[in-house]
Amino acid sequence: MNKNQIDRVWRWQITASAAAALLIACLLGVGFGPINLNFGAIVRTLLGLPNGLQAEDRTLLLQLRLPRVVLGALVGAALATSGAVYQSVFRNPLADPYLLGAASGAGLGATIAITSGGGNLHALLPIFAFLGGVLTVAATFLVAGRLFADPSTLLLAGIAVGSFATAFQTYLQQRNSAALRPVYSWILGELTVASWDVVKWAGFYIFIALFVLIRISKVLDALMLSDEEAYSLGVSPQKIRFIAVAAATLATATAVSASGLIGFVGIVVPHLVRGLTKRATNRSLLSIAFVGAAFLVIADLGARTLLSPAELPIGVITAFVGAPFFLFVLRTRNRGSQ
Amino acid sequence: MISLENLSVRFENREVLQSISLDIPEGTWSCLVGPNGAGKTTLLRTMLGMQPYSGSIKYNGREIAKNKSLNIAFVPQRPSIPAAMSVAEYVMLGRAKLDGWGKESAHSRNIVHEMLEATQLLGMQTQLVNTLSGGEMQRVLIARALVQEPEVMLLDEPTSALDLHHQIAVLNKVEEIKATGVTVISTMHDITLGAMYAERIIIMQSGRVLLDGESQSVIHSPELRSAFDDRISVHLLENGRPVIIAAKREIGLGNGVI
Repeated sequence: MNKNQIDRVWRWQITASAAAALLIACLLGVGFGPINLNFGAIVRTLLGLPNGLQAEDRTLLLQLRLPRVVLGALVGAALATSGAVYQSVFRNPLADPYLLGAASGAGLGATIAITSGGGNLHALLPIFAFLGGVLTVAATFLVAGRLFADPSTLLLAGIAVGSFATAFQTYLQQRNSAALRPVYSWILGELTVASWDVVKWAGFYIFIALFVLIRISKVLDALMLSDEEAYSLGVSPQKIRFIAVAAATLATATAVSASGLIGFVGIVVPHLVRGLTKRATNRSLLSIAFVGAAFLVIADLGARTLLSPAELPIGVITAFVGAPFFLFVLRTRNRGSQ
Repeated sequence: MISLENLSVRFENREVLQSISLDIPEGTWSCLVGPNGAGKTTLLRTMLGMQPYSGSIKYNGREIAKNKSLNIAFVPQRPSIPAAMSVAEYVMLGRAKLDGWGKESAHSRNIVHEMLEATQLLGMQTQLVNTLSGGEMQRVLIARALVQEPEVMLLDEPTSALDLHHQIAVLNKVEEIKATGVTVISTMHDITLGAMYAERIIIMQSGRVLLDGESQSVIHSPELRSAFDDRISVHLLENGRPVIIAAKREIGLGNGVI
């Protein structure tokens, strides 16, 4: 077996391990909670075999825990993959999925939904947050001057538009002090709204976005080169950059509208996988999606169980775990490079 | 043959290339020289298809922008260097247009191996490109251009970041590539080196071609001084090779001063 073959097997091992980690995380996620469920019975229920869970536990599993775990996995995969793609597109290891204003826009949209107070908030909030996120990123492209703007112009435009959206959101909050608590709670992220309906629409958009990103992941190599080099290799970097940013924004806006603002996943997971694979992040997008999904399912398990029966915002858990872990990875990497 | 006819490029209201017409024969090395801002790099970028232009750029009678199968390799002055990519992976990118992105044919692996050997990089294929020295990176860029099996190779200041030893090594390699029938077009600030290796020199100034011709005649032309500086002096060494110096006052060198 030559070096290339060994390398290829190793890549598959990483992806397979990430998929296995996600399966285990999902099993833990549905099994543990204020009421613990038997793992064997869970598997038998899910496979439709006899001797599954009793009726009450079965409802708990199928109507509460499973949609929540699936939504957590979808959101984790979306944020981690978008983060990795943004890091490739902007050639910046600290780029995160909220870079172009998707988070601030979604925050503004959510605040408008909460402060307007009309209709069914559970139905309105995700739609407003989604529209807020997508429209803010569209505004970023408009401010940048053109669809195929260079990364640094886009980045600066994203900061400006994001700041404007945040300022507007703060103004609305100040005018409606009753909305402060729900907005704040949404900003910290939550998966309590999970239902099969949310899973269906969020899954639809996230799957489309991830499919596009994984399809173009190999061409993202070209974005690591200068634009001249990319052209000489037959690629228009502007077009690839636009498709990548558009798909990553769709994934991010969907994730944010379904779960609020969950930080750190988009930075920590790509770096963790890159540390393990020693490969450019765009070359491990599938592994990153699996690890991101597993990470968020475990974080949500922590959010539900650490102070049970009270529930912590999931964003607090990802930041609590993510920040020290991130520092650990940075220190280890620096030591390695020395 | 590469033929440029009335090629013009505008950036907003400024015409950065103005009515350039050139014929560059196949398998030759042409060197673009001129002061900063003359339009040399813009001309290379336009040939890559990056800039909208008026006029035409044809390779063997076919417009370059419409000829998707034409392979033009580009060696940049300042490459963007990815963090987590090995020398072999980086060189393999040169095969992306031929094989498809992310694919590696057995033929491509053989070519990459050959070119790593030709550029003396064989022991370094697993090393990350962001840990290479300037000279090593330049050889990696040349290797990546070579695996493209290009018809045309464009080099933007290929020696600007290199010491003398590596300058000679890289230029010798490019000369070998040209000998295989590849048309080479480079920009170079060092006119002496340009004249030593390229058989044609094209002097550019303010987006125009001031003079285009055989290297030895161009470096002795008054246009060279007019493009750069009156104080440029051309000295001939004992072997007849020219050395071009921008000197404040005359320096005794070699056999003659022109």
